[in-house]
This record gives sequence, C-alpha cells and structure tokens, in this order.
Amino acid sequence: MSKALANKKVLPSREAGLFKELLNLYEGRQLKKGLKTADTILKKFPEHGETICMKGLVLVHMGRREEGIDLVKKGVRLDLTSHIVWHVFGLIQKGEKNYEEALKSYSQALRFDKNINILRDAASLQTQLRSYESLVETRHTLLRLRPNLRQHWVGLSVAHYLNGNLKEAKVVLEKYLATLKNVPSHDVEQSETLLYYIHVLEELGEYTEALSLLDSHSRNRDIVDKTAISETRARLLTKLSSPEASEAWHTLLERNSDCHTYYLGYLASHGHPIPPSTPSHPDPDALALISSLTTEFPRARASKRLGLVLSEGDEFKSRAEEYIKGSLVKGIPSLFSDLKSLYTDNAKCTAIEEIVERLQVEFKDASSSPKGSEEPTTYLWTLYLLAQHHSALGRHSKALELLEEALAHTPTLPELHIFKGRVLKRAGDYWGAAACVNEARVLDGQDRFLNTKTGKYLLRAGCVKEAGDVFGLFTKKDAASPGVDLEDMQSMLYLLEEARAHETNGQPNLALKKYMAVKRIYNEIEDDQYDFHGYCLRKFNIMTYLRMLKWEDTVRSQAPYVTAAVNGANILVASYDDPEIVKSLAVAHEQLSSTSKKAAKKAKKKAAVAAAAAAKMGGLDGKTPQQHSNEDKGLEPPTAKDEDPEGLKALTGEGTPVLEQAWKLLQPLLEVGLEENVEVWLAVYDVAIRRGRYLQAVGALEKAKKAGGEEHPEVHVRVVDLKQRAATLSDLKEPVKSVLEEAIKKLYPVEVSPETFNSQYLQKHSQDPKAVIAAARASKILNAPVEEVDGTVFSLLNTDINLSVKVRSPSPPLFHLYFRSDVAMCTMYRTPWSP
Amino acid sequence: MNIRPARVEDLAGMQAANLQNLPENYSMKFWLYHAMTWPQISFVAEDHKGRIVGYVLAKIDDQESSEDPVHGHVNSISVLRSFRRLGLANKLMLASQEAMRSVYKATYVTLHVRKSNKAALGLYRDSLGFKVDKVEEKYYADGEDAYSMRLTMTD
Ligand SMILES: CC(C)(COP(=O)(O)OP(=O)(O)OC[C@H]1O[C@@H](n2cnc3c(N)ncnc32)[C@H](O)[C@@H]1OP(=O)(O)O)[C@@H](O)C(=O)NCCC(=O)NCCS
Repeated sequence: MSKALANKKVLPSREAGLFKELLNLYEGRQLKKGLKTADTILKKFPEHGETICMKGLVLVHMGRREEGIDLVKKGVRLDLTSHIVWHVFGLIQKGEKNYEEALKSYSQALRFDKNINILRDAASLQTQLRSYESLVETRHTLLRLRPNLRQHWVGLSVAHYLNGNLKEAKVVLEKYLATLKNVPSHDVEQSETLLYYIHVLEELGEYTEALSLLDSHSRNRDIVDKTAISETRARLLTKLSSPEASEAWHTLLERNSDCHTYYLGYLASHGHPIPPSTPSHPDPDALALISSLTTEFPRARASKRLGLVLSEGDEFKSRAEEYIKGSLVKGIPSLFSDLKSLYTDNAKCTAIEEIVERLQVEFKDASSSPKGSEEPTTYLWTLYLLAQHHSALGRHSKALELLEEALAHTPTLPELHIFKGRVLKRAGDYWGAAACVNEARVLDGQDRFLNTKTGKYLLRAGCVKEAGDVFGLFTKKDAASPGVDLEDMQSMLYLLEEARAHETNGQPNLALKKYMAVKRIYNEIEDDQYDFHGYCLRKFNIMTYLRMLKWEDTVRSQAPYVTAAVNGANILVASYDDPEIVKSLAVAHEQLSSTSKKAAKKAKKKAAVAAAAAAKMGGLDGKTPQQHSNEDKGLEPPTAKDEDPEGLKALTGEGTPVLEQAWKLLQPLLEVGLEENVEVWLAVYDVAIRRGRYLQAVGALEKAKKAGGEEHPEVHVRVVDLKQRAATLSDLKEPVKSVLEEAIKKLYPVEVSPETFNSQYLQKHSQDPKAVIAAARASKILNAPVEEVDGTVFSLLNTDINLSVKVRSPSPPLFHLYFRSDVAMCTMYRTPWSP
Repeated sequence: MNIRPARVEDLAGMQAANLQNLPENYSMKFWLYHAMTWPQISFVAEDHKGRIVGYVLAKIDDQESSEDPVHGHVNSISVLRSFRRLGLANKLMLASQEAMRSVYKATYVTLHVRKSNKAALGLYRDSLGFKVDKVEEKYYADGEDAYSMRLTMTD
C-alpha cells in the first residue's frame, strides 16, 4: 500500500479525536450523539470509510436498518484494509445469524489487526461453525497475546479437546495449573477446572492418575462438587476394576438412594451387570444384594422396584404383591406406568393380573364394611390400576366397566376421568375422550396439567378452536392468542398436536405452518449457544459447556424436530404431486375470508405482537435486556411480518419451491444418527427422487430398507415407485446411470413386471392392513384403474384383519356400510368426510 | 424413579414439564443459562424410560452487597401430575439445597409461591420448613399475590 493512499484514510488529530469519541459513544449505545459525531467528521471527510461504517452501525441500532447496512457496505469498499470496517461488517452479519460470512469478515479484520475483541468473537464464530482447527489457532494467538488471562489457557485446552487432540488439551492444562499461585480453597471456578482436567485424563484412559488427582484435590477441598466427586470416583474405580468400587457406589447410595443408576453401578461392581431397562433378569445373588440395600434404605422405592426385575416365579409374585399392595394403600397414581415395563415378560404380566384381581376382592370386602380395615380409596386405586392393566392389553370394554364402577364410587377423582378419556382415545372415540378429560379439568381448574391434557385431547378430536380456548385459561393474557404464547414459549406439544389436528381436518397448509414453527424454534436453539462460547470460559464451567456443544450437535435428532421435518416434507411432497390440493384449499379459504375479514386482522395483530416480543428477546437472564438508550433496536433484524398466515403460499412454492423447502427440513436429519428411523429415509427418498437426485434417493431407500426390512409396506411402495420412474429416465449421464442401475437391481432383484411384483406382495401380506394399503398405493402409482385400487382398499373390510389403519378414500360412504364390531367405539369413521 | 443432577440433555424435558405444569414459562435460552452458570444445583426426576417427570431449577442470587450472604433461589419446581405425592418434589428440593450449600456455601434459600397454591405451600412450609418472609402484591402476571419464602440453612 502506498503511503499517500494510506494517509488519505488517516484523519487529522481533531477528527481522529472525534472518531475515538464516536467509538466510545457507540460502546455506551449513545446512539443519537454518536450519529451527530459521525456526521461532524463526514462533513469534512465524506469519504472516510471507517466513519461511514460506524455511522451505518449506529443507524442499524436505531432501527434504520437498510440505510445503515448500505452505509456499512459503502464504508467497507472505501477502506478495505481497515480492521474496523471489517469488524463492523462482521457484527452486522453476525446479527443476521450469518455465521459463515461473519467469520470471513472477522478474518479480514484480523489480517490488519490482531485485536483481542475481534479474536474472541472469531473464536465464538469458529466454535459455532465447528471449525475446530482454526479455533485452536485463534486460541493460540489469544494466549500468546495475553498469557496472564486464565481463561486464555483454558480456552486453548478446550479448543484442543474439541479438535480431538486430548493429549494437547492435557499438556496445556498442566502448564496452566503449574502457573497458578495462591488459589483460595473452595473456589468454584478452580473446582470446575479440575473436574475438566480429571475428565480429560479419564478420556485418555489414565484412570490411576485421574483417581489420585481426584482424591487429593477433594481432600484439599479444591473440588467442591460432592456429587461430581463421588460419581467420578465410583466410575474410575469401576474402570480400574478396583475392589473399592462397590464401596464407592455405596457411598453414592448413601447420598441419594433414589438413583437407579447407582444401584446398577453397585451391582455391576459386585460382578452382576444388569442390562438397562430389561423387564426380567433373574439373578438370586444380585437379589440378595438388593434386599440388604432395601433394609438399609427402607424409604427408597428404586431398590424395591429393581427386586421385581431380578426375581422370577414365586419370589417375583410375593415381591410384586408387597410392592403393589403398599403402593395402593399409599395411593400412588403412577403405579401402573411404573409397572408397565415388566409386561414384556408374559409371566410377569399374568402374575400381576392375578395379584391385582385378588387384591380387588380383598379390598372390596375390607372397604365396604363400615369398620373396614382399609381406606375406601385403596379399593378405588385398585380399580384404577386394574382398568389400566386391561386397557394396556387392548381390553377396552373391560377397562371401561371397571372405571364406571370406580366413578360411581368416587366421581371427583380427576385421575379416573383422565384415564377414561385415554381408554376412549385408544378405542378411537376422540370426542368422548376429550369430554372425559374436560370433566377432570373442571374438577381442578387450578391445575395446568389437566388443562394441557384437555387441550391436547381436543386437538386429537380436531377441535382446534375449542383447544385454543382451553389453553387460553393459562397462557399470557397480553399474547395475541394462546397459540402465540405457546409458540413463543416453544411448546412442542402444542405445535405438534395442533399440526396433527390440522392434518386430520384436511388443512395441510395450516399444519405446515406449525411444523415450520418447530423448525424455527430449533434454529433458535442452535443460535442460543452462541453467547455461551465466551461466557462459559469466563465462568470456567467447562464440563457443562462441553456437554452443551455435544447436545447441540445432535439436537435435531430430538423427536419433535424429526416429526415436524418428516410430516412437513410429506405435506410438501403431496402438494408437489397434486397441485389441485392447494387450489381447492385456496378456494375454500377465499370463501371463508370473504365472509369474515376478521381472521386477517387478527393475523396482522399477531404479527405485530410477535415482532414486539422478538425485539424484547435476548439478554442472557431471560429478562428484557437493559436498555442503554431507549432507541436501541439491536443488531438482529426484526421478525418480518407474516405474509402467509394461511400457509398457502408456502404450499404453492411461492418464494421457495416446495421441494426446496422440504429438503431444507430434512437435510439436518442426515447426519444425526437416525439410521434406524424408517420414516426419515422414506421422506428423504420422496424428496430426493423428485428433485432429480437419483443417487441420493436410492441411497435413502437402501437405508429405509435396512431400517424397516424389505417387506415394510412403505418401502414396498417406494421400490415400485423407483422402478416405475426409472423406466422413464433416458438422458442420464455416466457414471450416475450405471450406479443407479446397479442400485435398482439390488432394490428390485426380481425379473417380473412391477404389476406382478405388487400383486405378489399383496398376496403374501393380505392379512396385514398396512401392506394392503401399500399395495393399493403401488397400483395407483402403476396407473391401475380406480376400481382396482378401491377394490384392494375395501378388501380390508371383508376380512377379519385387525383394522388399525387410517384410510382416506374418495368413496367414504362405504365405511358406514362396513361398520365392524371391533371398531364399535370408534367415532372416527362416523365423521362427515372432509376433503 | 431416578433423582439426579440435571444435565443439558434434560433441559428439553424440563422445559416441556414446566409448560405442562405452570403458567410461568421460559424459552430454551433461559434454561441453558442456568445450566451453564450453576450446573450443580438443578435436579430432575426421571421415570424408568428416562422421561423427565419432575425438576427443580435453581440459581444463586446476585449479592446485593458484599455483606449480603450468598443465597440460592428456586426459580421453578414441578412434578407431572401422575407422579405427584411420591415425595419427588421434596427430594428434589433437598438435593438442590444440599448442593447450594456445599458448592456455593449458600446460607439461605428463597422462592416465590402463589398464595393459593396449597400443595406447594404444604411442601415448602410443612415439609421443608420455609418461612414466609413477606407478601409481594400482584407478583404474578394474572394479579395474584406471592409469598416470598425463605429457608435458613445451617451446617
Ligand atoms: C407442588 C408440587 C411440586 C409438589 O410435588 P410432589 O412431588 O407431589 O410433592 P411431594 O410428594 O414431595 O410432597 C411433599 C409434601 O408437600 C405437601 N404436598 C404435596 N402435595 C400436596 C397437596 N396436593 N396438598 C397438600 N399438601 C401437599 C405435603 O406436605 C407433602 O408431604 P406428604 O406427602 O408427606 O404429606 C406439585 O404438586 C406440582 O408440580 N404442582 C404444580 C406446579 C406447582 O405448583 N409448582 C410449585 C410452584 S411454586
């Protein structure tokens, strides 16, 4: 760079002073004064890039976003070698959550100045983006620049750890610990640092060293977290196969005898490893050990419950009877859900039935006489338990009979109404179910749990509006609607249940909106971690921070996201295949809104409130952040007004094509360990094949087949679909063509025609309702006449097969004719058919 | 049933339980903030399938002055209805109190409770020994008063 050019960017001392002031004013968010100062400089030096950028930044904070961003960009162009302009540009991009671009800007800034603040921000961005190699470099630089700051040492060690270099992580920590002098005892930060150090040693397999450090540091009270000390100790001793291990587990039990995992650790240390969540693992020696623990910790339920896993036969029966009887007398409502996991063992299931039926008789007598030896509630809980037992085994009428008896006995116990609702729900009577749960809610109006249940059941019955009214009894009154509050508070239960209700009601557009809301919440959760990259190092809370990073890496594998992504993609694919769906939805909506313009008004208000709420968000403590100046609007763009409250534009692909939207939903699922989930791979296939990503599609179908088996009905449909589509693909290039052919051969190894392939499948599985539906769908794909497809579907109603499928057909009245006794309680089929 | 310290992986379950049980709710960042700041003092109860059925979310309050002794605060506690009256809330509170004391040397714990919440008052006052410190009028969004309660912890 020539000197003359450089000088043009250097302000004379008066203006340089003003520029410094501008920076300070910005730091203190004195926006108006800052703006004025910037203008003063610009009057004399209108082309001064750094000032222009700062002015832009100030304007963005003041809510003049577009204007501000234009200025920032202009400023960058005018002074490409200033670290300030790049820093400002990076801040704007970070505010937009565009981490990649922000990091690029920060890297530019760092080329011209190794500024500590920029380095720290860059480290946060690198962590957010999981660029651990560059993170190590940045942390190195920081440590070199300021080795006296403790967090820089720990920061470098953590960077090595994240980058998979445990040895270096350890070396850096050891150097750091050696530099420390006069650390006060009982220092929480030091304690957490040491626990991290011990964890690194443990991961390196250096158990002995880890243990001796743990012991000496806990003796000195350098480590203050007693639970962590005892747990780590027990774990290390177990890994060392030390005879002291069982004593360590015992110490944990003394601290907390309600922790199931401690019992398992204790048993394993005695040579009795128990597989987790098994219903039955008879082992008399382990049982003896547990029995003595039960004597030692008589108040703990965990050991008694474990006894039911470790015993069998008569021993089981007597233990189970004691356990059940005690719980009934105490009146423990969760008893059944506690016992249920034992039911996968048939003998235990039968034994429990015998026991409870015997107790029913016993308690009936005991509670009916006026001087009965048992409280009448004991009998009530027994009926409740027995009803749950029968319902779980599919005996709905038996369950209802018992519940009626219990309700006649005590009509005011909410649990009975809730469970009656559950039985009806299982039997397919969603309205009856919602009515029952509502009875429970009315009995205890203060309890939000009952309120939530009622809302959920109403949604299951498709009653969206009624559900909203019920939810609204507990949501914030200043929210635009109950749904807005529940969405703000990130209630997955609400969003997924309402989406499902819209789907049942034939409004996939509204369902899609809710699924997209779930997606947005997961975006937020991923963004949430950003502030903690710096925060946790300052606090030295390293172990919990490392756990968070790991958790965030796979947060999209959580059930709510998977459901939203798969169902959302399915809706989008259906609308891609049949644009008529959206057209008829749009027509229906037109008719509705011409009669009432209210909905649009409401949505408008909703959006305004949401925007206001979004502006208030942020601030680590969850409260409204301290406003340095009442006009500061922050750097994050305000939530845009919802231009598509009905979700119809999304469904027509206005803006983003539907398949692209579907792909964006599914993409995060590809690498979060969902290999076992058939639904995911089926959805990926459906989207990929339509996007012309053939190799991706066959790859997904292979995974679906692996997860679900080749006879899986939905896999069958896709194999036929693939074969059918492949026949029409002509202009494929090599090597795609031959790879695809190979893959198809593996998925469709037979020589027969797709039609024959399909009818063979149907023949083989004619007793399986899902397979029958699949065969019907496959023949539709193969362009069979409607009568043939219908014929296949309705064969379901002639046979004795178990009807557990949901069918949508253009010929609904037939269902009324074929009303069968085993679905007698089910009201689903009695609904007037929706489009 | 398992009572154990809460971990990051539990936060979604805790948030869901809170939404089902109480009208005071928080977005994930708030839950994360607690887990990242005081990782030792919040606890969960899980069933045999690992589902979160109860939790206590706690923090250490800012000291108003250096003379003000360190103290903890219970932000939120709840147990899913079908798991109530099993003693879970009681055990969760005791575990949290112990951790506040041993890790942070907290000398007392505070919390707010609705005047009308009989179950919670029973838990705090009768089972745990909290005392009403003062009444905070219209503390809750719907206008209900709160008791501000306090428990002094001694070694
Ligand atoms: C309050 C709540 C957390 C109690 O949970 P829990 O696990 O059932 O409580 P415990 O079994 O540990 O009960 C401990 C003690 O609390 C008291 N208690 C609990 N439920 C009670 C009730 N319904 N009525 C009166 N006292 C009750 C009793 O003193 C009980 O001791 P006991 O069983 O020996 O008589 C639970 O009812 C709940 O989640 N309610 C909704 C959310 C809520 O109100 N949270 C508190 C906000 S401040």
